[in-house]
Amino acid sequence: MNLGIRAFLYSARKWKKTLLVFCLLLAITTLVLSGLAIADAQEEQSEELRGVTGASFTVTANNGYTLQPVTDEMIEEIAAIDGVESYNTSQYTIANLYNQDTLMKGTDEREGVSDLFYATGCFDSEYSPMFLTGALRLTEGRHVTEGDGGIILYEGLADKYGLSLGDTLEIKNGNPDDPLVECEIAGLFEVIADGDDEQATMAKPSTLFDYKDYVFVDMDTMSAVSAPYTVSEGNGIDSVDFFVSDAAKLESIVQEVQNSTSIDWNSYYITVSNEVYERISSSIADTTTLVTTLIVVITVVSMVLIILILSMSIRSRKRETGILLAVGIAKPAVILQYVLETLLIAVVAFPLAYLSSKQVAGVLGTLFGKAAENVIVTPQHFMLVAIVGGILLVAAVLVSSISTMRLKPKQILSQME
Amino acid sequence: MSIMEIKQVGYSYDNKKKVLKGVNAEMEQGKLYAILGPSGCGKTTLLSLIGGLDSPGSGQIYFDGQDIAKTGLSDHRKNHVAFIFQAYNLIDYLTPAENVSLTSKLPPLPILERLGLTKEEAKRNVLKLSGGQQQRVAIARALASEAPVILADEPTGNLDEDTAQDITEILKESAHKMNKCVVVVTHSNELAKQADVVFRLKKGELQVLERVQDGAAQPQSRRNNTPRSERRAK
Repeated sequence: MNLGIRAFLYSARKWKKTLLVFCLLLAITTLVLSGLAIADAQEEQSEELRGVTGASFTVTANNGYTLQPVTDEMIEEIAAIDGVESYNTSQYTIANLYNQDTLMKGTDEREGVSDLFYATGCFDSEYSPMFLTGALRLTEGRHVTEGDGGIILYEGLADKYGLSLGDTLEIKNGNPDDPLVECEIAGLFEVIADGDDEQATMAKPSTLFDYKDYVFVDMDTMSAVSAPYTVSEGNGIDSVDFFVSDAAKLESIVQEVQNSTSIDWNSYYITVSNEVYERISSSIADTTTLVTTLIVVITVVSMVLIILILSMSIRSRKRETGILLAVGIAKPAVILQYVLETLLIAVVAFPLAYLSSKQVAGVLGTLFGKAAENVIVTPQHFMLVAIVGGILLVAAVLVSSISTMRLKPKQILSQME
Repeated sequence: MSIMEIKQVGYSYDNKKKVLKGVNAEMEQGKLYAILGPSGCGKTTLLSLIGGLDSPGSGQIYFDGQDIAKTGLSDHRKNHVAFIFQAYNLIDYLTPAENVSLTSKLPPLPILERLGLTKEEAKRNVLKLSGGQQQRVAIARALASEAPVILADEPTGNLDEDTAQDITEILKESAHKMNKCVVVVTHSNELAKQADVVFRLKKGELQVLERVQDGAAQPQSRRNNTPRSERRAK
């Protein structure tokens, strides 16, 4: 009778012991798989957060003395640095809007100001502080980007004048002689923030304008509108915000920018903005540590438990070991039988744990503040657990067998008498 | 021609208590050997050494002229000897038929039936059999292994008189009809009476007892403790 048949017969006929090990393996593997899925969800959330927390640095010109703007070359050089996702600047002017020669009016009904709008020129309006902080939200269309000649305005204003995406408007500064600049409606926004609630919106209502009277245009449009009033040389940009794709790398990117020899750092300075990331990342780091610790503890405790149970099981089979050795079965064959029995159980328990963990992981994930649908047990998790678990089980059986296998058959049998 | 030869075998527990002191013996196929002696005198130890369950502290044990320490104890246990224990030592999750098949490729049922078990009994859990039936299974396992040497440690110790008599007959037949070398450690005078050669282990030394007419055995001179091969040389 070969060891495979012996292993199968033992597993089948000693079904209570088999069931105990099976249940234990199923529970442990389910927990470990769930833990891995939660850890991955945690990591993913952390990575997403690093990309969306608006970590940025601002390069500002010392305009007070030099009137030296942030040049297009500087912007291109810094934007080309690995990790810099986008950049933006904000230039402001008070403007009038014309819809087919009709002067448009905003929400402020006071005489003399009812036809004034607060216009912001951007390289990319998506990175305008008003949109970044969530004070405004684009509901239709797209953001305006450099040179696209677009304008974004409040959706209520568009309704009031029967305007929609693709329609054209004209924008100009307040004086009658200022040039009219045509632009196409690229997007509409809604106001999310309460203009009075500075803390809640993280917006700074530094202007007296209602958010509904804000409009956003691209930099080329803004330059054309502001041309009569530009006093500095060049593009007139005195500061540019650069946004990084990974907040964790902000420091190293800023260091790289500062190392640039082509920029005269006597004329510019850098300020860093990553308060949101810093605040959230510490709580993320705490959760990550907790999840990692839990996985390690679960795995270690489980392995100790399984080694103890396997050890007890193999010790209880000392007599059988002695008999098998006495009838001429070699020690490696006896150990291999015990290994095979454990692996037979694992072969059933691991795939079932994969299925059960798909259900359990989501539930456990919610305990760590994760959305159940984000906690996903992947085939990679399964492969990892199956391979490492298999190796650990084999090691556990070998360790458990050592004390018995070191004895001679006579010693084993005489201990049983 | 001896199949087992024991030369100057010594053994002590924990290197302190010496239980075997230069034991010599020869054993042939086709004979039933009995080893007598008081409890704790080292009978089971000697049987274990002959069967390769342990290694002697000194001396050698030969199977068919080969030192079993050199050919390998595991190989010796697998190919040359088969054990029958007082406690039967059957694998409890296997049926009698499967226990017999542990070491043999022969069909188990004919052997079990020859030893008095029915087909149904051969498929039961071994623990549900009586002591006598379990011992028959153990003997069947030994016989099925086709090992030329059968080593039995008090095989009738746990059995009633009738069953013990049956087992004794089976062992005797195994020696005389199946040409096995059967070595039995026993306290039973009845079993010893059936043996062809009776040894007594006393104070670590093995004596061959002479058979007398009523079947009882008497000690031969101590000189007989010397192996036959050495006596011939003298």
